[in-house]
Amino acid sequence: MSVEQNTDLIPLAVLGVTEDPNTDTRIVILRNDATADVLPIWMGQTEGAAIRHALEDLVPPRPTSHDLMASLAAHLEITVTRVVVTDVRHNTYFAAIHLSNGVERTVDARPSDAIALALRTGCPIYVTRDVLNKSGGDNVETWLSRIAPDVGGRPNGDTDTTPRRRTGTMNRTERA
Amino acid sequence: MLTQMKVRGLLFDPYNNAYIVILRDEHCADMLPIWVGKSEAGAISFALEQVSPPRPTTHDLLKSILDNVDAKVLSAVVTDLKDNTYYAKIHLWYGDSEYSVDSRPSDAIALALRADAPIFTSEDVLRKQSSEELERWLENLKPEDFGKLET
Repeated sequence: MSVEQNTDLIPLAVLGVTEDPNTDTRIVILRNDATADVLPIWMGQTEGAAIRHALEDLVPPRPTSHDLMASLAAHLEITVTRVVVTDVRHNTYFAAIHLSNGVERTVDARPSDAIALALRTGCPIYVTRDVLNKSGGDNVETWLSRIAPDVGGRPNGDTDTTPRRRTGTMNRTERA
Repeated sequence: MLTQMKVRGLLFDPYNNAYIVILRDEHCADMLPIWVGKSEAGAISFALEQVSPPRPTTHDLLKSILDNVDAKVLSAVVTDLKDNTYYAKIHLWYGDSEYSVDSRPSDAIALALRADAPIFTSEDVLRKQSSEELERWLENLKPEDFGKLET
């Protein structure tokens, strides 16, 4: 049975970065308020911090790698037009960064880098309907409804290297 | 005056829980140790060991963006040392002009290694860093302090 790919683009806002209570990773929650679509993407601490810093408008004394990326684009007058989460295969998400210097170009990226760059350049973030269909399901909704109260509410969480276990937010069996 | 430097290696500094990028000039007369965080060290280590991870790292992406628009990395220069913080500039050729962009040395080095661009530092920076103190510190290092970077 072949399923026709739905490549419609759904715009997403970054709701926040939260900790996965069971692993030493971060989860970036993307959401479209109008359609109530939610896309959680797991990533490392460093990648999560790069997104959180942009969300909190933190300006570190020296440019971070993503600040440098945005600054290089600005210096060379390259416009980041949009970033798109294009695919998910074996639990790995893929993204494309659309650039323009007169000519439109597309660069393959991890979603974490694409989102971190989008937030710094103010460009829109999209996901294809296809990816949402593949990643979605009731499990994600149920899981998120439990974890959501913590989104964005943890000061300095991303600089803490010791994983904190929060009891009561989720039990292991729900994720499996 | 600029001196060309090569990345001679990465050391783990157990006292500060950080990594040290060791830059040396061709004749090994001058040395510049730069303390960096774990993920920054990882970005440099991948390039040194020519490891290609399945998905592009942040610095692979930087390089890939520049390649896509035909921008060329000319050099990375460690330009200053103020209050224990090193400053760097990335020099680029794009269109028909040269650009220089402010950067942390770790990003500049990670990008230069991926672009096969030379790394330089100024005599001023070499003079400023107190090598004596570092040499004493290095003498006290034990063999087990050296090792592969955990990534």
